[in-house]
Amino acid sequence: MEELKINNGTIQFIVIKVGEEQYGIDIKYVDNIIHMSSITRVPKVAAYIKGVINVRGEVIPVMNIRTKMGLPEAEYTKNTRIVIVKSEQQGFVGLIVDAVREVVTLEVDGIEKMSYDRTGKDMFVTGVGKHQGSLISLLDLNEVLAE
Amino acid sequence: MDVSQYLEIFLDETREHLQSLNTEILNLEQDPENEDTINEIFRAAHSLKGMAGTMGYKRMQTLTHDMENVFSEVRNGTIKIKSHMIDILFQCLDALEEYTANIQENSDEGTNDNEALIKLLNDCLKPEGAEEEAKEETPAAAPSADAGTSSGEDKWNEIPLDEAQRMVLTEAVKQGKKVYGITVKVQESCILKAARSFLVFKAVEEQGEILVSSPSVQDIEDEKFELDFTIIVITDSPLDKVLADIRNVSEIEDAVGAEMTDFEEHKEEAPAAKEEAPAEVKSVPAKAEPSKPAAAAAPEAKGAPAKHEKKGGKAVGNRTVRVDIEKLDVLMNLVSELIIAKNSLVSATTQENSESSAAVDSQIEYLENVTTSLHESVMKVRMVPIESVVNKFPRMIRDLTKKLNKKMDLTMSGEETELDRTVVDEIGDPLMHLLRNSADHGLESAEVRLERGKPEVGSIFLNAYQDGNNVIIEVGDDGNGIDVEKVKNKAIERGTITPEQAGNMSDKEIIDLLFLPSFSTAKEVTDVSGRGVGLDVVKSKIEMLGGEVEVKTKLGEGSTWIIRLPLTLAIIQALMVEVGGEKYAISLNSVTTLENIAPSDVKLVQSEEVIHLRGSVIPLIRLNEVLDIESTRKEGENMIVAIVKKGDKLAGLVVDKLMGQQEIVIKSLGKFVDKTKIISGATILGDGEVALILDTNVLI
Repeated sequence: MEELKINNGTIQFIVIKVGEEQYGIDIKYVDNIIHMSSITRVPKVAAYIKGVINVRGEVIPVMNIRTKMGLPEAEYTKNTRIVIVKSEQQGFVGLIVDAVREVVTLEVDGIEKMSYDRTGKDMFVTGVGKHQGSLISLLDLNEVLAE
Repeated sequence: MDVSQYLEIFLDETREHLQSLNTEILNLEQDPENEDTINEIFRAAHSLKGMAGTMGYKRMQTLTHDMENVFSEVRNGTIKIKSHMIDILFQCLDALEEYTANIQENSDEGTNDNEALIKLLNDCLKPEGAEEEAKEETPAAAPSADAGTSSGEDKWNEIPLDEAQRMVLTEAVKQGKKVYGITVKVQESCILKAARSFLVFKAVEEQGEILVSSPSVQDIEDEKFELDFTIIVITDSPLDKVLADIRNVSEIEDAVGAEMTDFEEHKEEAPAAKEEAPAEVKSVPAKAEPSKPAAAAAPEAKGAPAKHEKKGGKAVGNRTVRVDIEKLDVLMNLVSELIIAKNSLVSATTQENSESSAAVDSQIEYLENVTTSLHESVMKVRMVPIESVVNKFPRMIRDLTKKLNKKMDLTMSGEETELDRTVVDEIGDPLMHLLRNSADHGLESAEVRLERGKPEVGSIFLNAYQDGNNVIIEVGDDGNGIDVEKVKNKAIERGTITPEQAGNMSDKEIIDLLFLPSFSTAKEVTDVSGRGVGLDVVKSKIEMLGGEVEVKTKLGEGSTWIIRLPLTLAIIQALMVEVGGEKYAISLNSVTTLENIAPSDVKLVQSEEVIHLRGSVIPLIRLNEVLDIESTRKEGENMIVAIVKKGDKLAGLVVDKLMGQQEIVIKSLGKFVDKTKIISGATILGDGEVALILDTNVLI
């Protein structure tokens, strides 16, 4: 029943926490979720790029989603995770997030699209979904990864 | 027949043949009567025809067939090569290349019949006024051709027979059966010679019995034969029937045979046959033309009198395997993984608190040796000479000579220089751009050249050679050189730079503007170059390959573009250093020496820090400043300086700590962060951490 629904007008999202807000990343872009590991700094790159890490023998750049969204950096805690996403243009990129909560399945019809003139943090959000009473901002990955 | 599985082989071989045709026809233009060249062209055209036929590409087959016809006549001396014929032939090659391109794209040769070309080719076959001469020569030439194709006409007489076999033969004849000796020739293009031969054997065995074959059945099954094999058959059927059945097998070019009756004579000859065989071949020309040296091969000796030295026999075929480049990529990746694993092992055993036995140490050392050799071997497997790419340039320059109406010569050296296959595949276009640039913009017109006291014929050169872990390809000309003023004015005109900026720029900086996108100095846009796409594409392509390009130019004397490419893309020996607590790798190849320098030895020249070292002044680069990090070195302490070189330039890199030499696997940083020019990649260290690789070429 659940599986049928996935192919039938629903999308699965990984819910992450940045600050007090919940964001959803379309699961089809997510390759892996790992614990914080040692990051090698790369000089002369944008401030939100924290460096590169080794994931199963591949070197993958890591960005801090807080810095990218203009939020102050937070201490890494035991909940901090790196979500490895794969985009067509940028290849694999790791996103440092405060925590990873759960996987939710949302009805496409229930997603509220955002207007076009987005600013600030909303720049990275394509729509808002509702899950068990709480709101999840759905991330526009292309915008997050854009330089 | 489903031939799709052979498509790759077909394309590869077609390209090889086309390349050799291009080269040989160029030679022919210089030397229209060289028989070796003519024969080589004939052979290549013939193979192409056969291959196209087998694959079912009818149009391609028709065109090559007509080309082959022309060469057949040329070879026979019926018609002579004229310059317009060379042009037609080149057009044919272009048409064939088009077919090949179509086939590669959609497995179909397209619908262009090239009728006009075929008509031109056929016109070549009608010699004006030379007809009588032709008639006289044809009969003389014809037998020579025969002698060529059927030099092994009675090969069956050379098969050594033992006593028992001779008895079987004699007995068979007594019983009224027929004994035939048959030589079967397989088409040159045939891919599965063994399979075809098997079908021949099967066809013959339906009619009778095969007593012996030469080479042996085993060798034939293993494809250990050139193009023909000989069998002795005992059968009731007439010879024609047997031969017809054999010819019915596809990809069999011909089968000739004769009845054998006289085993007596055969018997006597048989034991000596082996020794006599080579002598017999030689004696053919000797009989035909006693004055000829016996060493010349039969067809050449009989045709027109040989005017040129024969280059020697056909080159011995290399024992090679064609391997898909992707498989090699996989292999290379596995080797990389292995080296990373090995590095982890090394770092695990060298940790201070670990107690490892001497046996483990020695085995790890052995493992290091093996992985290093393994890497070298895999790398060598991937190396191919740049020949395959640069071979097409003489033809291109020839075409440009006509198109631009400028006289020019191309000299090339170092075609045998080897590079990684992926680099070779990509380097063709940039080189072509540079050569076209030289031909179009570089070289002056003949009048200007004469005025300047230069030889009328402009010279363009391409030199390749290996320099340490790099391969250098120089492309240049003895033409006008780059007019710095012109470039400067153009840049200002276009708003690329302001006049004030221009005043402060060195010549080199101005020349570097040429590499910016859409910067073309050609006054007129020509068909050849000057559309504004060029040097920037060249530069980005070469940088993509991990190389770099620079130009040396002198106004009025010419310019030279120097391309520096890494030999391998994947694994290098590196010097590991520490700067501000971070680990970095520097290609060991660019490091010349390591020095310990006292702070008082650092001098200032034009407000730049330099050191004097063994008579030369070397600029100092503080890596911690370049990398935006605090140095861990204490004030007043001696500095550790790695002297690195780029071409003939030197620089000293100040580091905090040396960690030693290590073999590292280069990993790409990913598009996201590769904007940093000073970092050329990353590598994974034994402990799993990532270290960045510094590109010293950018720093110098």
